Amino acid sequence: MITQAIFAYMAAASVGSAILAVTRKNPVHSMLWVLALFLHMAGMFLLLDAEFLAAVQIIVYAGAILIFYLFVVMLLNLPDEEARPRFGRHWPFAAAVGVSFAGLAWLALAPTPDPDIGRFATPSAVAERSQIGTIAELGEALFGPYALPFEMASLVLLAAIVGAIVVAKRGQLSS
Amino acid sequence: MIVPMSTVLALSAVLFGIGAFGFLARRNIILMLVSAEVMLNAVNLSLVGFSQHLDDLRGQILALFVIAVAAAEAAVGLGLIIALNRNRPGAGVDELTELKW
Repeated sequence: MITQAIFAYMAAASVGSAILAVTRKNPVHSMLWVLALFLHMAGMFLLLDAEFLAAVQIIVYAGAILIFYLFVVMLLNLPDEEARPRFGRHWPFAAAVGVSFAGLAWLALAPTPDPDIGRFATPSAVAERSQIGTIAELGEALFGPYALPFEMASLVLLAAIVGAIVVAKRGQLSS
Repeated sequence: MIVPMSTVLALSAVLFGIGAFGFLARRNIILMLVSAEVMLNAVNLSLVGFSQHLDDLRGQILALFVIAVAAAEAAVGLGLIIALNRNRPGAGVDELTELKW
């Protein structure tokens, strides 16, 4: 019961902070609302038995990515940003797209009876799952069967680092 | 099973809709990227929900890779924004019309 109450609070807070983040005029305020969204999302991950992901959410998303965004917002120095319209002229179209996507997804999940989804869980996965804590299992899976995707992720990050430096530096060299 | 799966999926759908609206509607290019992050978070939420519901770790592993790709996207996207801003100060996407035919 208390868990459901916590989940209801997390859900309401994350939807509210997401809406505020998308609609605030001042970019810094937007970022702070996104921070609230990320923290509530981490709490939701905790409720859903994903402790490691909750920690990664706070460290990587809230701690690294968001701070990076904030740095760029402050570096760019956009003094007249608040005086300009926050949405493009086509924003009703965008609102229609967002609402219709959420509605479509809602319609798609409405007729699905809940217990039926569980059928696809393989017995071996269930047996693996119930042994120990999630973090140890996650590590074993990442360095076992998912070692190649894991290394590919590090390659993607390396490519992103190199790409970011090249892209951000080129303009400086030419000008 | 504490939290019903359908609730998690509905919440994820709503968050994705908000993110999609923000990505399409905002004028500020940085806030467009942030809206994309909101969408990625919504997808992560549904992945974790499925992972818990199916008692299968693959959802969490996929969510980890999504976070890694989001970090890469943020790095490249913000690098592009800095390069853009050097050539043409301001953050409005409607002013970037040089590639328009």
